[in-house]
Amino acid sequence: MPNINELNKKAKYIRNQVLDMCVKAGTGHVNSAFSAVEILVALFYGGIIRFDSKNPKWKERDRFILSKGQASVLLYPVLADLDFFPKEELDKFNQISGIFGVHLQHDVPGAEITSGSLGHGFGIAAGIALAAKMNRELFMTFVLLGDGECYEGSIWETAMFASHNRLNNLIAIVDRNHLCVTDFTENIVALEPMEEKWKSFGWRVINVNGHSIEEILEALKGFRSRKFTKPLVIIADTTKGKGVSFLSDAPLWHGIAPKGQQIDEAKNELNKEE
Amino acid sequence: MNNNTTNTSMRNAFFNRIYEIAKNDKDIVVISADMGAPALDRFRRDLPGQFINTGIAEQNTILIAAGLAIEGKKVFAFAIAPFITLRCYEQIKVDLAGMNLPVTIVGVGAGFSYEDSGPTHHTLEDVSIMRILPNMIVNTATDNVMTVGFVDLSLKMSGPNYVRLDRKILPNIYKQETDFSQGLAILKPVADINIVATGNMVHRALEVSEELKKQSLEIGVIDLYTLPIDEKLFLNTINNAKKIVTLEEHTLPGGLGGAVVEVLADNNKLIPVKRIGLNLRKGYCYKYGGRENIQSLCGLDVESIKKTISEFK
Repeated sequence: MPNINELNKKAKYIRNQVLDMCVKAGTGHVNSAFSAVEILVALFYGGIIRFDSKNPKWKERDRFILSKGQASVLLYPVLADLDFFPKEELDKFNQISGIFGVHLQHDVPGAEITSGSLGHGFGIAAGIALAAKMNRELFMTFVLLGDGECYEGSIWETAMFASHNRLNNLIAIVDRNHLCVTDFTENIVALEPMEEKWKSFGWRVINVNGHSIEEILEALKGFRSRKFTKPLVIIADTTKGKGVSFLSDAPLWHGIAPKGQQIDEAKNELNKEE
Repeated sequence: MNNNTTNTSMRNAFFNRIYEIAKNDKDIVVISADMGAPALDRFRRDLPGQFINTGIAEQNTILIAAGLAIEGKKVFAFAIAPFITLRCYEQIKVDLAGMNLPVTIVGVGAGFSYEDSGPTHHTLEDVSIMRILPNMIVNTATDNVMTVGFVDLSLKMSGPNYVRLDRKILPNIYKQETDFSQGLAILKPVADINIVATGNMVHRALEVSEELKKQSLEIGVIDLYTLPIDEKLFLNTINNAKKIVTLEEHTLPGGLGGAVVEVLADNNKLIPVKRIGLNLRKGYCYKYGGRENIQSLCGLDVESIKKTISEFK
């Protein structure tokens, strides 16, 4: 089992990186990224995803598809930290000389796909998982969905396709942060009961606290053994903006970077001694 | 190669050719949104591992196609034309055009092919929306020889393309093994007045030119089957033309005629152009009684076109 304390420290480091990037650029989806920090840290640092940052297209790598492309400001610092590309690129986020902007783009090493319009990455991930089965390749495909993304009809087209085709090499994680742009999901159009929806579409469901790296790793225990024919969805209960009080569970902070005094306030809270 | 392309539908000709190649290339995958063809039945039976049915879920059809293409598969995504273009347009834009993935979208039912089915099945906007996407090639089939040629061309492409097939059997006008990589063909020598047409309307253009020949009027006919237009080739081809008539069973804004006038305007080739196609002001066509009847109502029958050209002359 990886050292959870170390992983939590990594989560704190990544949150700081996200904040720094977005503050400098004056844009970026800080709170959408903060809800999924522990999920990405568990996957990339917890011994789950196989990758080779010096050979990003390594054939046997696990594919990680960020379907909620607005959280690219979370994936990019992770990829930079793992040496997929130089860390200096983070300082050039949304700059003339930079290689990426707010939404995910496929030509960034390690990014795999372009994403920003919701409801796409999940289907692409299912196509990749299907190709792996056709080619008898053993890599796994992980896909991170936003819960707001689950309003898209294409998500459910893919959900039934993936279970029908027994894509047990596909693992979806829903970042269930309960919040969209303008309001909480249950006020907009209720997404609950989420678990029953996925189950009825033929998926195996595990619920976790999405800010507990231990719980995420526990849910993924033995995931390569494919004991089930059904694909797995992990519904990760999270808080949008986790780590900074004024960003947490706050509608209308979507896609906005803190400014002025807010920056110090956010930094102080992120870095206070436990 | 299966050269039996007469008396069969375009989709059969298309999938018969794919079948022949796919037997020896396991990376060729056909993905259908619950659309069939007799030739596909054979494909499904003999090559089940290379056939996927997504059900009537075109957005997912394109997404799965994109994922397969990312992993090196050569994918043909198939459905009735309006559904595999308009219904999933944003997936085509972001995932196929945006990532330049080699997926061939195969749409059956160009123009009023589904003449009995009303505006939901008429395909009158697809050229306009597909040709404006970066990386996208739009290929409209004129006959089955060309249809087969499009399979071979598709397999050589490194990016996406859209193949528009007619639902009806159109007579073969091209010789077997014709090279279709040029994007256009001169079917009647370039004259003062020339019809530039695509798809089923190429046959109509040939009919009209024969009729007008009887009245001692020589009309050139050019089949422009690939968009975007190869500008240099097109400008060279029409260099001595005085007037151009464009002809398409498609809405006028953004269609073939639009593409032609864009090239002419951008290259300061300011010759008169008359676009013949569907007038938006008439709205959708809820008329029945056969394709010929609908074409007559829309000014796409031989007599109407002759009249339009005579007035343009």
